[in-house]
Amino acid sequence: MSLWRDIKGTLQPFWITLCKMLSRPVTVQYPEQKQQMTPRYRGRLMLTRDPDGQERCVACHLCSAACPVDCISMQATEAEDGRRYAAWFRINFTRCIFCGLCTEACPTLAIQVTGEFELAGRDPLKLVWEKEDLLVDHGGHDPDYNFYRQAGIAVAAPRGANPTESPPVDPKGLLP
Amino acid sequence: MPTLTIDNQQVTVPDGNTVFEAAEQLGIVVPHFCYHHALGAVGACRMCAVTVVEGSMPGMKMSCMTPAEEGMVVETGTAQAEGFREHVGEWLMTNHPHDCPVCDEGGECQLQEMTIASGHGLRNYRGNKRTYQNQDLGPYVAQEMNRCIQCYRCVRTYQDYCGGRDFGAMGSRQRVFFGRFRDGMLESDFSGNIVDVCPTGVLTDKTFRFKTRLWDLEQAPSICPHCSLGCATVPGGRYRELQRVVSGVNLQTNGHFICDRGRFGSGYVNHPARPRHARAGGSRVSVTDAVDSLLRRISETVSQHGPEAVAMVGSGRASLEANLLLRQWAAELNCPPPVFELHPRRARAIRQTVGTLSDHLASLRQVRKSDLVVVFGADPLAEAPMLALALRQVVRAGGRVVVLDPRPVELPCEFEHHPLTQEKILCLLAGNCEKELFNRLLQDLMAARRPVLVGGGDLLGGVGLQLLGHLTESCDNDDRYCLVHPLLPQANSFGAGLLEGPEQTDLLERLESGRVRALICLESDPCSEHPEAGRMQLAISRLDYLAVFDYLPTHATKRADLLLPTTTPVEGDGVFINNEGRMQAFARVLQPGVPLAVTGQGNHPPREFVPATPGCHPRPAWQLLQQVLGDERTLHGLRQAAAEHESRLEGLSDLQPGGEGLRVMPSSQAPVEESTVEIWSQDGDLRLLPVQVRYGSDHASCLSDKLTPRMTGPQLIVHPQEAEKRQLKAGETVLLKTAQGTFRFPLACDERVVRGRVIVPCLPGTPLEILVPGGLSLPCEIEGEAP
Repeated sequence: MSLWRDIKGTLQPFWITLCKMLSRPVTVQYPEQKQQMTPRYRGRLMLTRDPDGQERCVACHLCSAACPVDCISMQATEAEDGRRYAAWFRINFTRCIFCGLCTEACPTLAIQVTGEFELAGRDPLKLVWEKEDLLVDHGGHDPDYNFYRQAGIAVAAPRGANPTESPPVDPKGLLP
Repeated sequence: MPTLTIDNQQVTVPDGNTVFEAAEQLGIVVPHFCYHHALGAVGACRMCAVTVVEGSMPGMKMSCMTPAEEGMVVETGTAQAEGFREHVGEWLMTNHPHDCPVCDEGGECQLQEMTIASGHGLRNYRGNKRTYQNQDLGPYVAQEMNRCIQCYRCVRTYQDYCGGRDFGAMGSRQRVFFGRFRDGMLESDFSGNIVDVCPTGVLTDKTFRFKTRLWDLEQAPSICPHCSLGCATVPGGRYRELQRVVSGVNLQTNGHFICDRGRFGSGYVNHPARPRHARAGGSRVSVTDAVDSLLRRISETVSQHGPEAVAMVGSGRASLEANLLLRQWAAELNCPPPVFELHPRRARAIRQTVGTLSDHLASLRQVRKSDLVVVFGADPLAEAPMLALALRQVVRAGGRVVVLDPRPVELPCEFEHHPLTQEKILCLLAGNCEKELFNRLLQDLMAARRPVLVGGGDLLGGVGLQLLGHLTESCDNDDRYCLVHPLLPQANSFGAGLLEGPEQTDLLERLESGRVRALICLESDPCSEHPEAGRMQLAISRLDYLAVFDYLPTHATKRADLLLPTTTPVEGDGVFINNEGRMQAFARVLQPGVPLAVTGQGNHPPREFVPATPGCHPRPAWQLLQQVLGDERTLHGLRQAAAEHESRLEGLSDLQPGGEGLRVMPSSQAPVEESTVEIWSQDGDLRLLPVQVRYGSDHASCLSDKLTPRMTGPQLIVHPQEAEKRQLKAGETVLLKTAQGTFRFPLACDERVVRGRVIVPCLPGTPLEILVPGGLSLPCEIEGEAP
């Protein structure tokens, strides 16, 4: 039996090779030919914008807390209109393991993964990305979500004017 | 002492404790909001429901309102109680916004924790959420009323505990609002505490706004360096910047709260002018080179001029360990022992506290529990703010507070103020004048059950504290002691006083005569601490060699021939001994360094990576002195040796940061008798009294930008009749003529000021800094500006 198996094992690869020579190859000629990654592919991270074109990131520190390799750091600050945003936001892609936990933690859908994976380079500092490198001008996976319209504080609309809010009460009113 | 069973665990609690406190003692946390250790229970939030299975009233009960009974059986996890708590959680969350990502409380929010503990997840109510307009509560507290769950903790803290009157509850039913009648800065000197007690993000620290999440904050238990009370604090920082200070818990000292000076006065740590580099002869050198050069110069001085040519100055700002090592160095060089307090009168006050009064000292807790407190020559809000809060607790519990002081003293409670001059207070204590008042006080003190005398070291001096000691002894009886709570100038004045050798008042003369050629200052500034600041500055400029160890930018650090930068209390470990002789350890919070916000490049941190942290050279003073002495002991070894050598420091080596601390042993030596000559030497009908004020008088808080809104500028305060006599009006600029010079300042009138005195604040960094508090009043004259 083992003799028969050996003969089959010798001839079958030749046969398969012969068959595949006649069909179209599946190999993608990377890097000449770029491949479209699946939507759920976890590549480089980006910071998206809300439908009004404002930065979504509120620098809440949840992504940096979730990050298992501590590659995200930031400093929050306040704009004139009360909007909390990142004064600076830095991702060190030399450390990033592309686990995507930051995107799961993000309450404002600001940090999202892209399909981009071409990050190799000779200078490690080029892999330390600042906020201006990470910001894109679209909403990514969920373009319609605007955190400040849901949050209940007056940034996107005056107080009490967001959906599911009543107008501000008058605490000095005497009516029951 | 009832014994009860909670969740199948038995616990015995003191009488009067509630089921909630009993559960807490077992480590079972029942979800709660309105209960707070310092404020007690009010039973308002209905969150702490538990089921009493066996007891006089079985059924579901609010654990914070149910007294523990003998044989009671309580379950915290029954379906009924859990279901109830979940509903309560849901009701509390009905109007709460979904803004946790932009809320500063996130990560340290009791509402977040308790909502999860209660089991509430989804909001079933479909109605709209209530909203409010916020108020501007000033530069310290940010308000976001939409987040409020109406637990009333802020009002209970601000009005009831702290005695503030400009913040309260307004409105009715669904509109209950917590704030001021109109926008404006909160007036109370304890306003920051409402940030600590707010269980959610309604009241947050505006100075810490959006800076850091709790989980990124570097924190450690520390001791407040702003006054001598030694309150427990928890400073927090990130990116080499001290960002906030919150109250620690030490039931023996501050309890659960701290004052605004301690909370917002920490800017000196991040101050840009702080010495960060070792300097020798005007150029930057490494710490090792600086220490070598120091050793060389000192040994040269000793060999050329003898050991008497070297003088050392310790301080009440430096840790106990550093002062100990300085004394050891002086002993090794065989030069005179260090002077630990440059102001001779303050030094005598410390000596009396450390010696004569040491078996009668009251802790702040004992002050709070007292029923009669008589304050002699102290303005608590200026010299030790938390004492004012303790006095309020005395009054709240039905006790009485009597204040004898020349200043317009304010307290957050009702009290009896007798405006008396400094000399009159001393004279009264000696029993020579104001006999009627003295006898009345004596009678009340004899009758009181827990009397405490507070003595301001600055006004009373050594003589006054000695007389206060005699008074406590005469008020003692068989059942109880009459205790005394002296106020000292600095955080570790007591510790420095413990190490003080025989009295030395001739340092200035020795400097002037050229007998001292080299001076070593440990975290002290002779030019601004000595009462004769002008003479001292001149004497210092004539020195051959001035070596300074300091963390603050002072006159001495500017003139120093050799500067060794030390760390602030938040950047190093050490021990402070507070005014009641309590040794308390503090731990390092941050590594020293220039804050990232300063070294950053534009809108992000630097992109060059260097191995050394910018500005990392400061080291704890005790480490630098160890390097000088070639000492390689650990901090623990150092403390152990000190405890063995100095019997009063017993237990020093077992101290843990964040604990309650340990009292030093009472002095066994015979009391030091002070001469009483200084008292009766008043002439001239108007005299000047330089005093500390609430903000900006201590060397740390005057460097804190955050406190600027609270600081009052330099002004002269007199009784209206004194102004009238000289045809002066309040608000106009007047000339103040003293032996120290002539100053121009606005005049303020206050009827609470004693007649015949001009009260002037001591403000380092202003022309007034040459007037140093702690002395007797000085002759002066005020007159209107020539037209």
